[in-house]
Amino acid sequence: MTAVLEVKDLHVSVGDNEILKGVSLTVRQGEVHALMGPNGSGKSTMAYAIAGHPHYQVTSGDILFNGQSILDLEPDERAKLGIFLAFQYPVAIPGVSFANFLRAAVSSVRGYKDRARAEVAQGGKREIGSELMPMREFRKELLAKMDRFNVDRSFAQRYLNDGFSGGEKKRGEVLQMAMLEPKIAILDESDSGLDIDALRVVADGINKLVADGMGALLITHYQRILNYVKPDKVSIFYKGRVVLTGGPELAHVLEEKGYGWVEKELAVEPA
Amino acid sequence: MTVTTLNTDTISPAAVTAIGERFREPTWLRQAREAAWETFTATPWPTYTEETWRRTRLTGFDLADFTLATEPVPAVSSRRQLPRKMSANLRKMDSGGALVFQDASLIYAELDPELAVRGVIFTDLRTALVEHEELVRTYLGAQVLAADNKFAALHYALWQNGTFLYVPRHVTVEKPFQVLIQLSPGKAAFHHSLIIAEENSELTIAEDYLGAARGMSDTVVELYPLAAARLHYLHLQNLDTTAWNFATMRSSVYRDALYRHLQASWGSRLSKVWIDLNLEEPGSHGELLGLYFPQGRQHIDHHTNQNHKRPRGTSDLLFKGALDDASRSVYQGIIRVWPHAQKTDAYQKNDNLLLSEQARADSIPGLEIQADDVRCTHGATSAKVQDEYVFYLMARGLSRKTAKRMIVSGFFEEVLNRVPVPGVRHKLEAEIARRVGLE
Ligand SMILES: Nc1ncnc2c1ncn2[C@@H]1O[C@H](COP(=O)(O)OP(=O)(O)OP(=O)(O)O)[C@@H](O)[C@H]1O
Ligand SMILES: [Mg+2]
Repeated sequence: MTAVLEVKDLHVSVGDNEILKGVSLTVRQGEVHALMGPNGSGKSTMAYAIAGHPHYQVTSGDILFNGQSILDLEPDERAKLGIFLAFQYPVAIPGVSFANFLRAAVSSVRGYKDRARAEVAQGGKREIGSELMPMREFRKELLAKMDRFNVDRSFAQRYLNDGFSGGEKKRGEVLQMAMLEPKIAILDESDSGLDIDALRVVADGINKLVADGMGALLITHYQRILNYVKPDKVSIFYKGRVVLTGGPELAHVLEEKGYGWVEKELAVEPA
Repeated sequence: MTVTTLNTDTISPAAVTAIGERFREPTWLRQAREAAWETFTATPWPTYTEETWRRTRLTGFDLADFTLATEPVPAVSSRRQLPRKMSANLRKMDSGGALVFQDASLIYAELDPELAVRGVIFTDLRTALVEHEELVRTYLGAQVLAADNKFAALHYALWQNGTFLYVPRHVTVEKPFQVLIQLSPGKAAFHHSLIIAEENSELTIAEDYLGAARGMSDTVVELYPLAAARLHYLHLQNLDTTAWNFATMRSSVYRDALYRHLQASWGSRLSKVWIDLNLEEPGSHGELLGLYFPQGRQHIDHHTNQNHKRPRGTSDLLFKGALDDASRSVYQGIIRVWPHAQKTDAYQKNDNLLLSEQARADSIPGLEIQADDVRCTHGATSAKVQDEYVFYLMARGLSRKTAKRMIVSGFFEEVLNRVPVPGVRHKLEAEIARRVGLE
């Protein structure tokens, strides 16, 4: 079955401030959906709302994953369904090693933990480490993926994003995504702040995962990454809404004419 | 060794005399006890009007609630004869020697025979007093004085036993020594540790305090890293959460010597701990690390003193605490740089992580600088677990609980990765994991 993420007429507020004003869009497994929109238009807000950030209140509308609403699910439950958010600004967590954290995350998402729990519930013995993917397997896979996705092996021992450069953080997000193997990934400006080599690495990573069947919602400001990652669809986000969806050519039009065109052409009422 | 018992178990002048008699102590020691008792009675109980006690109250504390250990506990000759919990605890570390105390009795001792041949003395203070009286007399009470505080005075009047470790000149001991001090419920215990690292020697010792439910522990630790020595002291306070705990620990660091202290304050209902680092001679170095993680209504109070008396000393302090429930911590630290202590480099940092709305951490760092060519840095932080951290980890599939546990463990990592003994590090990690709560 192809997984589908559908955002339906979503309204989201932070405090008393309504930021999303009826967003609708769809992302399918295996396809790339690019989302472009000006600063402050609410792209990250939508990404957070999909991932389940508690500070963003959904006031109406729905988010469906394979037809089921996920609004009541905790962020970790959404991750287990196969939704991944690559953060625009990944936080640094001092003292938490990248490898330890990722092993716990992979174990949770792949169900090691739930299986171990179920066994204990059926009277089985609680064994130390049974909630985690076996260390050797994990290491092997991590090293292989570090190589495949062009991430330096030293990442594993470093603290999560702590002291990482902007580019390293984005590579780290791609590596995590590769390990967690989501069905649908929301990539919030995974291309911003990257030099040309890093951009290729990140784009290449996304392409590999899409080829393996992942669906991607690619939030970006620039045509640049779309030279490497070919979108199936492009949507324009404006003042808390998706105002236009089209094919890849839309990105070029937008790049040429800018957002002023959106306002005039589409007669979007100013907020 | 005498086997008679103490004829009184109350905290009283009679007990002071009885201890001297029971152990047939030399006159100098009996006189020191009597003088300490005088000091104790002459010193008023602390009140919150004193700066050092402003945030720590002894409400509910009454000496009449505790009794002294009077009966000797028989010793055993192998680890297997120890209670299982103790032998399991000893196994967690690969040590060069071990002592196990039950209250004031040494119940088990071991020492690598090779170390004994090299002149290392590792025994209880009672035995040391009989076999090496001059050594004990030189160092006992020379560092921490009865006049230091009321609890030190009480300690010197009533101590019955303790740890004695002496490493001779130029001897490097790689493996740590370990000491378990198991205290019985309702008792008042006064364990005394005397640790001497002679010139250019090196030693590591970990002391683990356990038990003392509804009791009190009033400890003094005196440490002597002599010239160019390297002394690592790890104090693991795992007392019952109903215990009252008082400790005065002081290290005098001599020329070019290094002193490293790790304080892990896990247990007790209330702890008042003084840790003083005296950099006595030029070029001496000190490092003080601290961890605490109070829960429930635990109250943990640390006082530190980085005393730079001579030039070119360095000191580095990092105390980190996580606070849960309605617990409280107090950290008061001072860096004192004496006149002429030029080229001093001193650092002091206290970080607190608040895990609950009711928890409270007070941090009072201080500087007193009387030399001009020095570098002193201090700081304190107090923060909650950041929602953004939790969300990031949860978005990757970790449950809320696991996410918090990782963040808290990560917070302590900065101290843990500086712990010199792997066995101790594992113990600390296990203790943190237990407190953060396995799911
Ligand atoms: N937690 C928050 N608290 C208050 N305001 C917020 C919060 N998050 C977002 N906003 C506001 O919502 C609006 C949309 O922000 P958002 O970050 O979603 O925009 P964006 O489209 O991702 O912009 P950019 O292209 O700059 O990343 C902004 O005005 C922002 O200030
Ligand atoms: Mg954004």
